[in-house]
Amino acid sequence: MSERAAPAGPSALAPWLATIAAYVVPLGFVLAPMALFLVYSFFSVDHGSIVFSPTIANYVRFFTDPVFLPIFWRTCLLCFTVALLCVLFAFPVAYFLTTLRGRSRYMLLVLLLVPLLMSYVIKIYAVRSILGGNGMLNRALLATGLIDKPSMLFVFNLNAVLLTLTVLLIPFAVLPIFLSLERIPKALRHASADLGATNAQTFWRVTVPLSLPGTLSAMSFVFVLAIGDFLTPQMVGGQSGFTFGRIIYSQFGTAFNWPFGAALSVILAAVVILAIRLGGRLESKHGGAK
Amino acid sequence: MAEAGILLKLRSVSKSYGATAILHSIDLDVHDGEFITILGPSGSGKTTILRLIGGFTQPSGGQILLDGNDIAAMPINRRPFNTVFQDYALFPHLTVEANVGYGLAVRGTPRAETAKRVADALELVQLSHLGKRFPAQLSGGQRQRVALARAIICRPRLILLDEPLAALDVELRRHMQTFLKSIQTEIRTTFLFVTHDQEEAIAMADRICVMSAGRIEQIGSPHEVYYRPGTEFVAKFFGENNLIPGTLGPVDGATRSIDTAVGRLVCAIDGQPQIAALPAGSPALAVFRPEAVGIGEAAEGENRIAARIDQVAFGGASTMVNTAAVYQPQQVLKARLPSRPDGTSLSQGETVRLVVPSSACRLVPA
Repeated sequence: MSERAAPAGPSALAPWLATIAAYVVPLGFVLAPMALFLVYSFFSVDHGSIVFSPTIANYVRFFTDPVFLPIFWRTCLLCFTVALLCVLFAFPVAYFLTTLRGRSRYMLLVLLLVPLLMSYVIKIYAVRSILGGNGMLNRALLATGLIDKPSMLFVFNLNAVLLTLTVLLIPFAVLPIFLSLERIPKALRHASADLGATNAQTFWRVTVPLSLPGTLSAMSFVFVLAIGDFLTPQMVGGQSGFTFGRIIYSQFGTAFNWPFGAALSVILAAVVILAIRLGGRLESKHGGAK
Repeated sequence: MAEAGILLKLRSVSKSYGATAILHSIDLDVHDGEFITILGPSGSGKTTILRLIGGFTQPSGGQILLDGNDIAAMPINRRPFNTVFQDYALFPHLTVEANVGYGLAVRGTPRAETAKRVADALELVQLSHLGKRFPAQLSGGQRQRVALARAIICRPRLILLDEPLAALDVELRRHMQTFLKSIQTEIRTTFLFVTHDQEEAIAMADRICVMSAGRIEQIGSPHEVYYRPGTEFVAKFFGENNLIPGTLGPVDGATRSIDTAVGRLVCAIDGQPQIAALPAGSPALAVFRPEAVGIGEAAEGENRIAARIDQVAFGGASTMVNTAAVYQPQQVLKARLPSRPDGTSLSQGETVRLVVPSSACRLVPA
């Protein structure tokens, strides 16, 4: 009985198969390629072919060449600004979402998530058609008479990258903030009102501090997504909107210097890991008080 | 309009969610300075009363009068009441001091005064040494006391306590009962305490309001609701009462007789005009507590019931004896007798005479 039952039920193979899958997938498809990048970053290129002897020349080049570091800092600042803007825009949306109930909440949530299902490139094209020299935004400004000739302030430069990234990444910021607002027990807001606080006081003294973990993780989330993006700056950044992601892309694509590209990627990965750790650290510090 | 000694009046207050009625026309007076307990099983509407007074929900009908003014529409933060919530609802991101001082901080109280009053409140609840901690670093009993300090610091006219001891273990709960009562005596503030635990209610309250299914069953002192239940529900809710159904006989001064399957019983009705007013022949129940029952010879003014012993359970100081009435074997009668130090006990199957003094026997309408 039991011998026949064994393979029929949850297979005896399942436990260790699941274990292997759980380890092999991330090891094989995430960690191994990253390790490969790390290894490649210590090689060099000679006349278009890779020289497989260890050197730190790529890292030396990054820190000494006057081109890379400024772009690196500028990109970090840009992405931090994007993260800040996203959180500022997402917070009211997330807050509004928590005040809704039932069907209307579900509808708004779906509306917010629909853009995530669309192709990233299409979304960039859409934003580009709004921002361009002859785009909707410029035409609207001309029509209202605010400006008399098309403004170039947000056409193919870093401002355009900033605006586009912000618009595209807001949905990613809404969700963590919404979840952390959702988790605040209603009793705490009641307790605040019970102790004499007005709604505004309750918001600033209870709701905002307690949503900080979600807000911070939303920020690090958006920052990481923004800093890894090369497509957006490529498509709306033009000549001046050069970012770190585009440099890496050009090393692999046009310059065909894989080891240097790998070194830059390693540096980028370090920043990303730092941002995630920072977000997580602050989150656990604030969440720990619960 | 305001009556002396009455802080808060509920007048035919009702509450329903859609078609479901939670409270049916509640009338309740809260006296100034008293410790009033609202007692009832879950779903009886006791917490709803507290939430209506606190302003967390609005009544569907009726009035809540504070000094004669209806406060049904007054926002939560304007009501001179503070609440100790069931799960304490301490702010997790604030220290104990900041939690306690919250009510003062939002009112813009000067910092020096706030600090002094926080220190006083923490001293009152014996937590002065934990002011810098966060709620997560405290035990359940300590959180409880922080919640209490936070509620009393604004000197409210009424403190609402929503089953604040439910989450504590038995030992701590006993301790907190005494503690709460002593604080209440010390600060002389009215406490409205909601609980489902009869022992807790009896131990702390000046008055108990017993609720069932959205209605008030009885309001009275702990002694009254315990020994003089007004309804069958109250008689059953407070522990192991003996209830014997029968039909009412005539009133004789401060007593009234009831004819039951185990014989005619004479019961006291002093202080219960509603029982005296019932017509003879109405169905009713005779109620008496197991500890009022004796075994042996009956004296003048005592009821006798012949019973056969079913079960004898030694319980330390007292021994619980379960018997069945001889003339009505389905009728279970319990007697709590002082245990005999010599170890002799009643034996199963023995027929005895249960003796119940008329003064300990009460009537409730069936």
